[in-house]
Amino acid sequence: MTTTRQHIIEISFPSEFGYEVIAREAIATFARCVGFDRDRIDDLKTAVSEACINAIEHGNKKVHGLTIDIVGVYDGNMLQIDIADQGIQQYQVAGAPATIEEKIAGKAPARGMGLLLMTQLADEAHFLPDTNGTRGNRFRLIWRERVETLEPEH
Amino acid sequence: MSNEETAGSKPSEKVIELRLPSRLGYERVAMDAASSLARRMGFEGDRIAALKTAVSEAVTNAIEHGNQHNETMKVVVLLTVRDDELIVSVTDQGSKSIDEAYVSRVPNISEAMQKDDKGGWGIWLIRELMDEVEFTKAPGGGNQVRMVIHLER
Repeated sequence: MTTTRQHIIEISFPSEFGYEVIAREAIATFARCVGFDRDRIDDLKTAVSEACINAIEHGNKKVHGLTIDIVGVYDGNMLQIDIADQGIQQYQVAGAPATIEEKIAGKAPARGMGLLLMTQLADEAHFLPDTNGTRGNRFRLIWRERVETLEPEH
Repeated sequence: MSNEETAGSKPSEKVIELRLPSRLGYERVAMDAASSLARRMGFEGDRIAALKTAVSEAVTNAIEHGNQHNETMKVVVLLTVRDDELIVSVTDQGSKSIDEAYVSRVPNISEAMQKDDKGGWGIWLIRELMDEVEFTKAPGGGNQVRMVIHLER
């Protein structure tokens, strides 16, 4: 038997609304297999769905025949999920996403809550720079292992 | 989900690919992906249960026998959606071929009950549960099982 510390799962699915649900379920089961609790899996499912929908809608511009590619890596300390499209459109947002207050005040577009939501649900949520020349958008979500701490006794 | 023609696949055909580590437990990823897809295609509950069992057996076989629990090797699961059927292909990277006699044998229940090892029912189960089953050698050299489940409307 050959074992490895890093567990990697790869998923590729058609860039069409509806298929993100299949990827979401597969990633959720992967997270369950590596020991994530139910609350974090719910967060993960929402964030992965948002990232996939963005990739289908904005990155691939709903063009049929394209794919969305996901790579999930668990190394014992954190779960990292990269969602990549084929870059029909570059839609990376520079800097931090607009806050709800800015949106309500009309200082930022009302749409685009997904990015804000993902930053709240994951420990890290950000675009990756295009270092491999594919021109596709790559979005990374990270959940770190939580260290349980006991409440001090009074 | 729509079923329009896409580049690289046949008309009305969509493909989802999963690449899993060869570690027992990860067969559940394939089971849940297949069942979620089958539910959306309109399969009934008992057919989805049959599909989950067959996928679990096929992926477990690939991890245990094909890839010999080598976690650096992958199990590749292709879920191909057609209008009237779901095709599941499970491929390992193992160099050890599955014995033809093992693939086609029918287990004897009374004999099996006498043995300590109660395993060896997986391929028979897959054949019983799926509408079409084919064992072949993958182009890359691993073992491949292709299972088809028809959608009855």
